[in-house]
Amino acid sequence: MDSFTALTLAVFLPFVLAGILPVVEKVLKSRIGWYASAVALLSFVLVSQVASSVIHGENIQGSLSWLPSVGIDLSFYGDGLSVMFGLIVSGIGIIIMLYSNEYMSTREDLPRYYQQLLFFMGSMLGVVFSANTIQLFIFWELTSITSFMLIGYWRGRPLSVYGATKSLLLTASGGLFMLAGFLLLHAMTGTFDIPAILQSESTIEFIKGHELFIITLILVFIGAASKSAQGPFYIWLPNAMEAPTPVSAFLHSATMVKAGIYLVARIHPIFSGTEAWFLLVSGVGIITMIAAGFMAFRQTDIKGILAYSTISQLAYLMTMYGYTTYQHPGIGVAAATFHLLNHATFKACLFLVAGIVAHETATRDITKMGGLRKEMPITFVLAVIGALAMAGIPPLNGFLSKEMFYETSLEMGAELGAPFTLIIPALAVLGGVLTFAYSIKFIDGIFLGKRPSASLPEHIHDPGWIMILPTAFLAALIILFGLAPSIPVHNIIEPAAEAIILEPLDLHVQLWHGFTPSLMMTITTFLLGILIYTRYDSIAAWQNRFNAKHPMISINYFYDAAVDNAKTVTFGFSSRMQPGTIKTYITALLVLMLVLFIIPIILLASDIIPSSLNFDIPLYEGIVFFFMIVAALGAALLPRYIPAIISLSGLGYLVSLLFIYLQAPDLALTQVLVETLGTIIFLLAIVKIPQTFKEHITPALMTRDLLIASAVALTVFIMMINATQGIVPPFESLSHYFIEKSLPLAGGHNIVNVIIVDFRGYDTLGEISVLCLAALGVYNLIHSRGEEE
Amino acid sequence: MTTVITKTVTKICLPLVILFSISLLLAGHNNPGGGFIGGVMFAAVIALTYVVFGLDHIKSFFNPDWGNWFAFGLLLASLTAFAALAFGHNFFRSAVEFLHLPFFGEVELVSAGLFDIGVYFVVIGSLLFIFKNVGDDR
Repeated sequence: MDSFTALTLAVFLPFVLAGILPVVEKVLKSRIGWYASAVALLSFVLVSQVASSVIHGENIQGSLSWLPSVGIDLSFYGDGLSVMFGLIVSGIGIIIMLYSNEYMSTREDLPRYYQQLLFFMGSMLGVVFSANTIQLFIFWELTSITSFMLIGYWRGRPLSVYGATKSLLLTASGGLFMLAGFLLLHAMTGTFDIPAILQSESTIEFIKGHELFIITLILVFIGAASKSAQGPFYIWLPNAMEAPTPVSAFLHSATMVKAGIYLVARIHPIFSGTEAWFLLVSGVGIITMIAAGFMAFRQTDIKGILAYSTISQLAYLMTMYGYTTYQHPGIGVAAATFHLLNHATFKACLFLVAGIVAHETATRDITKMGGLRKEMPITFVLAVIGALAMAGIPPLNGFLSKEMFYETSLEMGAELGAPFTLIIPALAVLGGVLTFAYSIKFIDGIFLGKRPSASLPEHIHDPGWIMILPTAFLAALIILFGLAPSIPVHNIIEPAAEAIILEPLDLHVQLWHGFTPSLMMTITTFLLGILIYTRYDSIAAWQNRFNAKHPMISINYFYDAAVDNAKTVTFGFSSRMQPGTIKTYITALLVLMLVLFIIPIILLASDIIPSSLNFDIPLYEGIVFFFMIVAALGAALLPRYIPAIISLSGLGYLVSLLFIYLQAPDLALTQVLVETLGTIIFLLAIVKIPQTFKEHITPALMTRDLLIASAVALTVFIMMINATQGIVPPFESLSHYFIEKSLPLAGGHNIVNVIIVDFRGYDTLGEISVLCLAALGVYNLIHSRGEEE
Repeated sequence: MTTVITKTVTKICLPLVILFSISLLLAGHNNPGGGFIGGVMFAAVIALTYVVFGLDHIKSFFNPDWGNWFAFGLLLASLTAFAALAFGHNFFRSAVEFLHLPFFGEVELVSAGLFDIGVYFVVIGSLLFIFKNVGDDR
């Protein structure tokens, strides 16, 4: 199998195999999680094959024809960056699916859970391997939708629903900003193809000089920031913690929230090197890093602490990608990319630990925990490894990338000159100090100290190996990457960083690299961190008092107000638009039709209102017309339903008689049959509603209805006269084309049928789908009414 | 409605109309007819039977799930549309083939015909599904 095929399969197989998952579930029952793990493994193997080509310096690119008419192909691109993400997504995917086997109770709706996880995995792989912007956008929104469904997995819980809605509103609308940015990019370059832009230096120069540059950058960055919970968009991530914990570990720490980082890295060659890039990306990054780290203090939910920590850690990455404007991108990008990989390992590990703790203690409230180290020794060790890696303690992997972050921040400060020489490294250290403090809190609050006996169950123990092993595997990676950094750096980080900066790169990362300034910063971080930690609880208490006193200084406050107002407005609007009486709907439709038609009729009055009409009506047609008028009047005027319906269907049969005179047997036949069935269904339904028109009709109402009806009749009349007598022939009749081409192109003599099934086959497919939907709609209408009674 | 005369006439009509509806379906490409008309005719005669003999009586020995019919029809129609992709053509590209069979003479095979059969089943299924649900709810 060549690498491009492997790449395509890695993206699409999860969708296909998730599609048949409900069938597989019939066989495997509660062991369906193993099937899902196998699917993730399959994707991982396929991505690995791509990775092996990429490491040897060969980027994978190819496309399948999709929408050739608008220049959009289904195209995939595998370079160092996308392969790194692909490995993280499918690798963590395996771990999460395995872990879920024990975490998710067999009483849960397992097929839905695993199906959505696999859909998500496929979408996420689609995001990172897409080579064109439109395709990337589609997969991007798919990840938002699957995330929405997974956060709202426990549909009955109001908080789940709230969190799911919030994440969808923010990330999906952020995606629309991104789409607008992509369209501007297309307007500038004329292509949707990302590699085509990346590989052409002149195009990149052109974009950087273009007047739309800033606005495009801002739009795309809004998409990235909303997905990665940066800046004001951070508010959705803490609420997303209502998802089952494996989902939080997978989507909301290791993969989906990194899609924004991926996007920033992907567009790095196009937008970086400008002042705007630095101010926007690093500016938002630094503010988010400090603010989120600070806000983590007052969290009492163990997953809440991790959520704010994720926001803060992702902000590190943003900050470093923004630095490249003023320094050689080699260190910053490499550091960010390395930290991204490390964060995926230690944060997923910590979430899985949080899942274990919540699973065993039945609470997520850290104030109710303590002293669990004796009862859960293995979990304790895993938690310590994860949290110390996050805090940046050697020899774990977080130490290495944190050092690189300090190093690049120092250099950045030096490049900018006073007063930034000090400010930027100081801000970096502050971020590190906050991280250190809440990392220690995570260990101390759960595992150390005294065990509160009242709030915890009596017997708490380590979980089974199905939950321990995946977590332990991540912990092993943390140690491995820390002790032997050259393994990930040479195989994953270098190709990825090279893909971001488009230059060859030779990285040397070592555990011990002498007493450098960045080591001093690390030591300062530890000392200050311990100092802050002693004041942890009073800082949290101060934050709580502040929040209680100033509820309006919060983005959530504005989000909730906006959503509430939107609900009120839309509810008022829809209750006016949909009062539930058919008459209102029909009136609205007819009036709209009149408005649309009357303007052209008035504008073209001299052309389309014929001065004299030449009706040459044969006697038999005249007789039919006469009875049609009688039947129409009967349908309108008869006071009871059944006679009115009979009269209406009489009108229908007369129309079909007319079709026969006009030599349209197909139409006549159809009309007769439809009329028959319609009448029967009408009569069946009518039994259930009152037998007379109960509505009181005032003269004013009567006049209004008469006016509308007459105006509609007149409009239709003018239209028909034009269509049949050809007074204005601006368009040539289509029928000649069909008469000519029906036999040679479609091999049919019956033009009507050929149009339906061949020339307009797409329309027909749509129509029969609507027919099916209508049938299901009727079913629901009838049966839901029964339930209410 | 349920006089002996209507019952007898319905019994005679039922097989004839079903055959006619199938012939309409098959003839559709070159003569008046087609999946839609054929389907409506089939649905109409079944509806007639339901009305004349009573829904409950018919249901006691003949009670297909019409929902499956329209699901099958929609599947068939979509598959014929997608089949063209599998042969490397554009979506919905139709194919015509003429076969010379003994006894039948020249027979025309059109992929659009399969699509029309899908339409036929959708029309029958959805109409009778609606009919049965509306009529059943007493």
